[in-house]
Amino acid sequence: MESVLRLLADHGPAFGQALLLTWKLTAVSFVAGFALGTVVTVARLFPLPPLRFILTGYVEIFRNIPGAALLIFIVFALPDLNVLIDYEPSVILTLVLVCSAFTADYLRAGINTVGGGQVDAARSLGMRPMSIISAVVLPQALRAMVQPMTSLLIALMLSTSLASQVPFPGRELTTLVARMANDSAAGMSAFAVSAVLYVGTALVIAWAGATLEKKVRILR
Amino acid sequence: MSRTLDDVLFSDPNPRVEAVARAVSVGVAILLLGLVASIVFRFHAAGQLEARLWQYFAWQTTWAFLAKGLLGTLASAATAAAIALVLGLVLVLGRLSRPRLTRWPATAVVEFLRGVPTLLLIYVCFLVLPSLGIKLSTYWMLTLPVGLSAAAVVAEVYRAGVLAVPRGQTDAARSLGMTEAQVFFVIVFPQALRYIVPALVAQLVIVVKETTFGYVVTYGELMQNAKVLVANYHALVPVYLVVAMLYCLVNYGISRASRRLGRP
Repeated sequence: MESVLRLLADHGPAFGQALLLTWKLTAVSFVAGFALGTVVTVARLFPLPPLRFILTGYVEIFRNIPGAALLIFIVFALPDLNVLIDYEPSVILTLVLVCSAFTADYLRAGINTVGGGQVDAARSLGMRPMSIISAVVLPQALRAMVQPMTSLLIALMLSTSLASQVPFPGRELTTLVARMANDSAAGMSAFAVSAVLYVGTALVIAWAGATLEKKVRILR
Repeated sequence: MSRTLDDVLFSDPNPRVEAVARAVSVGVAILLLGLVASIVFRFHAAGQLEARLWQYFAWQTTWAFLAKGLLGTLASAATAAAIALVLGLVLVLGRLSRPRLTRWPATAVVEFLRGVPTLLLIYVCFLVLPSLGIKLSTYWMLTLPVGLSAAAVVAEVYRAGVLAVPRGQTDAARSLGMTEAQVFFVIVFPQALRYIVPALVAQLVIVVKETTFGYVVTYGELMQNAKVLVANYHALVPVYLVVAMLYCLVNYGISRASRRLGRP
């Protein structure tokens, strides 16, 4: 306990910055991944077989590829193809691609909870397909996916630890602990502090998700 | 009759609309082929299609080496999964038990392991524990953190399954004079397992993904062996591409198998 207090006195601001960077990486990649996943899901609804084929491939690839393998490919292999992406954007890109694939999967499951009868009814009112998707299907589908998206957000927050795998100038929580364990004997207390910050963030996200879920869920 | 939503959404009796859809389809296909061609051209322009970078994939030794890595991945994943299944059961028993003395610690352990990145646990086993005099082999430095992380999630999956079993089952079993242990292991848990098989297999996919971190502790799994190949042949793009495809295939296979299992 004493060593934790001494650590906080010495490195408190570093932990604060690391926590903020973890939150920033999480938030940016979640928002972008969510938007991209929604676009992919809607595009998959169009009756265009080649588009469906390629997007199904997209979702299956990024759902099944390990985040570390994807990040290593983007950071170390893409420069050989003359595609240079800086470290921080590479981490975000990795998280966005994975997040979008899972979002597409969950949103599709949410869409499946909307009955075909509602679409029939909307069409018989003369609505165009795109306005049916945006006004009838998506609002209900989004409400049905709060729980899996909460889990995805927590998983994404934990995946920001991937940033420790690239020589990143900024330090998120896992990088900070790895450096401290390398440089000093404070490894165990550094781990304890960062674990509390991670678990606290996860609990807050879970609580917010449960509250939102209670508010918007559709009882069938 | 149940039509999927996609069919209802765009189905149109008008043949002209269908002709337009077909024309757009062809257009999209041409666009995508153009995209593929431009990617292939980029490979060519960057000199990544040279035979030197690909020829070793024709050698048996390369594939034997990759297979050995895959075996390492699967060996670690299998042990981690076994840890997760057993420890998850212990944790859920603690969490669902009535005495606070067992319930609170189990809840705390689950929340802790669920909220901490596996990579951080790996770093603790790799960098911190040795300084405390605890030395693990590289196999356990990878397998233990992955298994512990998965155990917490598996405990939650078990819990969801147990809570989904109708209460009448417990009441009926108790009225037959079964002990609490019999009620759980003979009546409730086997039924719970049937609900949660798909979720458990999804967790297995995550376990396989997380063993990728084996290269952090230099345990000989697929990613680590890929790094060795990269160092030998100076071929980043081909090796990482092939390895990523191998991971995708393994995980896709597991997911497909779970979909089949999930169907009653």
